[in-house]
Amino acid sequence: MSSLPPPPPLPGTRIDVPPLGAPMVELSNVSKVFGDVVAVSDVSFCVGPGVTALLGPNGAGKSTLFRMLCGLTPPSQGQVRVLGSDARRDREVRGRIGLIGQEDGLFDQLSAGRFVEIAAMTHGMVDPKSVAAEVLAEVELDPLEPKPLGAYSKGMRQRVKVAAGLVNDPDVMVLDEPLTGLDPVQRRRMIALFHRLGDQGRCVLVSSHVLDEVARLGSRVLVIAQGRLAATGDYRALRDLMDDRPHRIRLRTDDPRTLAARLIDTGTAVAVRVESDGLVADILDVDKFGRSLAPLARDTGIRLHEVEPLDDDLESVFRYLVERR
Amino acid sequence: MTATQDPRRERRAVGSFAAAIITFQVLSRQIVTRSRLIALGLMGTIVIVVGWAVGMSDSADRHLDPLEQSVRISVNLGLTVVVPVVALVFAAGALGDARDDGTLVYLWLRPMRRWPVAVGAYAAALVVSVPLTVIPVVATAALIESSGELVTAVAIATTVAVVGYTGLFLLLGSLLKRSIVWGLAYIIIWEGVAAGLGRAAARLSIRGYARSVITDRVGVEIASFDITQGWGIVGPLVAATAAIMLTTWRLNRMDVA
Repeated sequence: MSSLPPPPPLPGTRIDVPPLGAPMVELSNVSKVFGDVVAVSDVSFCVGPGVTALLGPNGAGKSTLFRMLCGLTPPSQGQVRVLGSDARRDREVRGRIGLIGQEDGLFDQLSAGRFVEIAAMTHGMVDPKSVAAEVLAEVELDPLEPKPLGAYSKGMRQRVKVAAGLVNDPDVMVLDEPLTGLDPVQRRRMIALFHRLGDQGRCVLVSSHVLDEVARLGSRVLVIAQGRLAATGDYRALRDLMDDRPHRIRLRTDDPRTLAARLIDTGTAVAVRVESDGLVADILDVDKFGRSLAPLARDTGIRLHEVEPLDDDLESVFRYLVERR
Repeated sequence: MTATQDPRRERRAVGSFAAAIITFQVLSRQIVTRSRLIALGLMGTIVIVVGWAVGMSDSADRHLDPLEQSVRISVNLGLTVVVPVVALVFAAGALGDARDDGTLVYLWLRPMRRWPVAVGAYAAALVVSVPLTVIPVVATAALIESSGELVTAVAIATTVAVVGYTGLFLLLGSLLKRSIVWGLAYIIIWEGVAAGLGRAAARLSIRGYARSVITDRVGVEIASFDITQGWGIVGPLVAATAAIMLTTWRLNRMDVA
């Protein structure tokens, strides 16, 4: 696993507070196998209060990790502890978890108010109606809206799920791709809500496969790829890692052979493949490349038509992180 | 850990009775869909129409004594087809549908014991199934022969059968995907064919006990084995209780989406 440098604290927030005493969520050498498929392989991490983002491409094992964490499925190997206990066996701990799962299923015949009220009842809340009204207001939904959930849009259903996950005032919130289907304004508000919850001392675990979302979700990031924990640490360090890794760039030019020779001679590129209307260069230092490309083209009289990064996507970062383990 | 002091956020342990009631409320609404009601209501109506047609026919046209004819039609159409099929649809769907559509997590990941969830799901399926089975089957019997003793016998037998089948199919729905297909195979192969071939198989079928109740009360020989009405009632009750216990066990061990 790659360790990224510890995050610098953000002024006025409590993000990434180190766990006091026992960590709130602890996974030790956890693996999960479905038949011949290894969904999660030997993952270990501890998470304390604050917002922690679990970043990984689709199919990386994020949902399986979350399901094991909530006790919905047992690990094939290893140990999962939430608030010091196993949620699959410990009823009390189940009452302190708020899960917003990726599944879209809701009790579609019920109104949002009734659905959330029932969620509050199942947690033993003394005044489930008031709690339902309060949490629905938190996600900007009307608790008196009689429309059944089956008639709600994807974004509204997502907000109802978040409200239902909040009814028990959970110490640990597990949110599996909670921003799916939300419009930009709702995303912003939801992210602010997650930060508020984290600042209150809760452990808020949020998964996403979108790097920009993770940038706004929290500074602490767990990167999972191909079922393995590829990196942990601060988001900015991850971003740096993305910039520091070898990059592949396509250059369209009227004289690819001359440009290829100059890139190698000056050490700007470590490898070059010439194509009919350009070249593909492997570079190590993006900044140096950015600084030297234009002067190099000017000095040699080469006309540049296009500069296109070929691997500036999240998948390639994950691939890089996994390969270098 | 959390800083909330709001008295509205106070909570107490969820009692077993409350957990069963919540489960019942949620699942009874979830399993009743318009298409299911129409299809199963139509099936019950067809059975009533058969009873009415037979009851209206001239006694000279009948090959059997009205009492025996009423019993045979009630058993062959009601206990063999209507009761198991209705129970299968609602009982297998109670937990099976919730597991398949991902809503089971809203009952599973809660500080509640598992057995009240199983009991609540069972009660939901039973309460929905009883009117859709007992009313048409008893009405069919009454339309052919309006004997008070016959109507009582058919009512008890049908209720006993739906109690037993609901338990079995609740368990089936928690164990298997495509439980409707497996349930239909069970109804046709075991309850429909095997239970009619020998005493041992009949003793392991819900239908066998329900038939015994009718034979014991009205004397028409349709039972595959000879037991009193009391044992005829106890058998399916035991099966249902065992099935609920196994469903609880299954809930404790299942993977939830």
